[in-house]
Amino acid sequence: MATNTKDDTKAWMGARLERKEDLRLITGQGRYLGDVVLPGMLYAVFVRSEYAHAKIVSIDASEALALPGVVAVYKGEDLMGKVKSMRQPVLLPNLPAKFPEYWALAVGTAKFHGEPVAVVVARDKYVAVDAAELVAVEYEELPVVIDPEAALADGSTLVHPDSGTNEIFGMTFTGGATEEEQKKNEAEVEAIFAGADVVVKHRFRVHRTGVTPMEPRGCLCDWSDADGLTAWITTQRPHIDRLGLADILEIPAQQVRVIAPRDQGGGFGVKAPFFRENVVVAFAARELGRPVRWVESRYESLMNVGQERDQINVCEVAASKDGKLLALRNRGIADNGTGQTGVYWGFVMPFLGAVEMPNGYTWGKGDIKLRVATTNKACLTPSRAFGHFPTRFAVERSIDMVAHRLGMEPSDLRRKNIVPQLPYTSVTGEYYDSGNFLKVWDNLMTHIDLPAFRREQAAARAQGRYLGIGFACGVELSGVASELLVPMENQPGYGAASVRLDPRGKVHVYGGDAPGGQGHETTVAQVVAATFGIAPTDTVVTTGDTGTTPFGAGTIGARAGSYFVSAVHKACQELKKKITRILAHDLALEAEEEDFEFANGQVTLIRDRSQTKTFREIVERIIMAPVNLPEGEVGGLDATAFFEALKPMICFNADFCVVEVNADSGEFKILRWVSSEDVGNVINPMIVDGQMHGAIVQGLSNAMFEQFIYDERGQQLTADFERYKLATAADVPDLQITYASTPCPHTPLGTRGIGEGRPSSVSGALSNAVCDALAPFGIEITELPLRPDAVWRQIQAAKAAR
Amino acid sequence: MKTINVTINGTRYEETVPVRMLLVDFIRERLALTGTHVGCTYEGVCGACTIHLDGEAVKSCMLLAVQADGHEITTVEGLAKGGELSALQRAFRQHHGLQCGFCTPGILMNMTEFLVHNPTPTDDEIRQGLIGNLCRCTGYVHIVTSVRAAADELARTGGA
Repeated sequence: MATNTKDDTKAWMGARLERKEDLRLITGQGRYLGDVVLPGMLYAVFVRSEYAHAKIVSIDASEALALPGVVAVYKGEDLMGKVKSMRQPVLLPNLPAKFPEYWALAVGTAKFHGEPVAVVVARDKYVAVDAAELVAVEYEELPVVIDPEAALADGSTLVHPDSGTNEIFGMTFTGGATEEEQKKNEAEVEAIFAGADVVVKHRFRVHRTGVTPMEPRGCLCDWSDADGLTAWITTQRPHIDRLGLADILEIPAQQVRVIAPRDQGGGFGVKAPFFRENVVVAFAARELGRPVRWVESRYESLMNVGQERDQINVCEVAASKDGKLLALRNRGIADNGTGQTGVYWGFVMPFLGAVEMPNGYTWGKGDIKLRVATTNKACLTPSRAFGHFPTRFAVERSIDMVAHRLGMEPSDLRRKNIVPQLPYTSVTGEYYDSGNFLKVWDNLMTHIDLPAFRREQAAARAQGRYLGIGFACGVELSGVASELLVPMENQPGYGAASVRLDPRGKVHVYGGDAPGGQGHETTVAQVVAATFGIAPTDTVVTTGDTGTTPFGAGTIGARAGSYFVSAVHKACQELKKKITRILAHDLALEAEEEDFEFANGQVTLIRDRSQTKTFREIVERIIMAPVNLPEGEVGGLDATAFFEALKPMICFNADFCVVEVNADSGEFKILRWVSSEDVGNVINPMIVDGQMHGAIVQGLSNAMFEQFIYDERGQQLTADFERYKLATAADVPDLQITYASTPCPHTPLGTRGIGEGRPSSVSGALSNAVCDALAPFGIEITELPLRPDAVWRQIQAAKAAR
Repeated sequence: MKTINVTINGTRYEETVPVRMLLVDFIRERLALTGTHVGCTYEGVCGACTIHLDGEAVKSCMLLAVQADGHEITTVEGLAKGGELSALQRAFRQHHGLQCGFCTPGILMNMTEFLVHNPTPTDDEIRQGLIGNLCRCTGYVHIVTSVRAAADELARTGGA
């Protein structure tokens, strides 16, 4: 076990280093949003719509305002003329969509159950909650549309009448840019289907589910007429929040500072959008000249965010009789909710889900279309496995169905069709830069003796026990390149870091992203330690403060291991060059950077090891005594670097699991879960393991337990953890994570960003295993969640059909 | 309002509180012991607010501050003794038993008590013992590893 005082500097890359974050977190000294307090702070509580769709006839706040301790109540109209609408250019993707106009508080009409219609500000938290209940809102119910297919039908109730349609976004992802090219492609794909030996076609329905960080959202806004707004926000992208707040509140950008607290209780995508509540709190702080804090309740959180997936995919696969996948055709419909969330507007997730649908297989051709419908539900918010949890389910299940039809082992069929060589461009145009998918797959297969398992399975069946094995794989983004992020989210993809050395030879790293548990402080310190030959304890990492950090697009899409650490490394290299230039000058030597070794706190000339200085000495000399420098040099050691690979980058994984199903009850148990991963070069294997564990269990929890339910009137019925069930420790298995990595040639350290998309392959592997177990009944699972009652019903139906 | 006497992490407090104030708010907001967290809507499901009340792990969002009158409380801030981390705290650090750390204080409190009653648990027993604590980051794998490691360590050293 490595510790923070270890002095073997060469070993920092790849070390199982204990995390720098942990000491404060295990002793109760973390500082989360809810722990930040300012003198005179007021408490904000939102009044939220009780209806999915209703005209707001009146809002009477007189009783609330009469309650001692209540300072103000604001409703939508109070914002008009003082803040702009939420539809500001900085928050709009560069994709053709019908972006609805909306305000931070509902104006005129409430469009989903839980939409904020007013806010109460009080001196005491309990009083604020009381007062919110006293705000009398008169509603006039309007017809609701809660089904995405109904929303797309002619004559449907419109969520946003100004849009003239509920189709917020639609796109064809294959064939080319013009309609003519796409039509030609469609015809070619149709011809493949017409002539294929095997065609499977199913309608796959994945429910509304997502992620729920244990710390809900919140913000604390402080206003000063002289300095403007300082906002502490639970956020994955403080720099975008800053621009959005500046534009909507019409504050000069230099007077807005956003700080993501150093500790955040998870994000997983939920804290990546630009949220209306933060605008309201900032507005209230400005109006009142007092700090105002809002800490979201779990109820509010489950009403408003963490809802994703929710797609129907009519997926068709054509294959030859020798098991070659010939074509993939999909018609997707996604339930967007209202679309009232900045940066993503709901549809960006299903957009990427369609892009990523082909996964790691060499489809001959593809014909993939998507339509996204607004409904009277909470807007989709990003959730780990961004958009492609449902499309992966459809593809991975379809592949097993093809295998069943052909009498092939699903694992053999997959291996036959896995992209054999990279780089590769998928049928939707996604670029897979590097790696070795077959190596990952073959490594996975070394962990199971398939013929032995089939024998065991047959023997078990003879005793009335149903065992099954399921496989799936996943190509995931390793960071999101500008090439994709500029169109998708109107933001740059590069990683940015400032590295500042201090006269004591210590290192301060500043990054504009805002982590929530991924261990950035540790990984970055390991990279710095390895580069400068110092201890990780000598580095301090600051993230998330727009006042001190360079612009970063946020902690999203597995950017840390790909983009952020690469920027840190690049900045360190610049400083290293300067240090060696000046050191060579001081030693009166002809020497280049590579002639020196940085190790164990020393900088040493390799060819004559007597020529050495401590890292601190040379750093102090350059910062504090900038005299007798080489010509053209100035003192100081501070560098900001931006890193962007030329092309998008990916990582890859494969899973299998073994389940046992009780055919009498439909209950099933996961007996084994094994994964194989290409994560590139690893900085801290313990952290990488942890990312995989968390991601796989999120996938299992989504697939087996969690489900947001709306009734026919659009009432959300699952706004607490009793009804929105998360997997507990007793619900999930131990996991065996294995690696078959290939260094990424496009990052300076060979690292890949990992963990974001990782849940996506889980539901396919699990469902395939259950179907494999129940093969004697001929059951095909096409809907999630996968729960015992659903399995039981299918078994009953299969028995009845005999 | 009612005046209560509570001992928290060895310090005695005499405070006057509204009768309806939740114990978790008293601990977090009145005493600024912010290691105890709130992760659900005071429904007792997430377990992030778990503390010890007279040595027993309880969810502090399910109690009123006035119910703690005359009782002794330990929070996560009180687990380390004399600057020395407990075996369980050390194990969580060594085995990466936490990521975002939001649920961690509650898990440490719950599992500290768990190991007193079951010093040699199986993995299944640890998992059952964790039912009252939700974690979204770790998939529980390293949490189970950490608790088991702490149990082994305590068995080796005879508890401490």
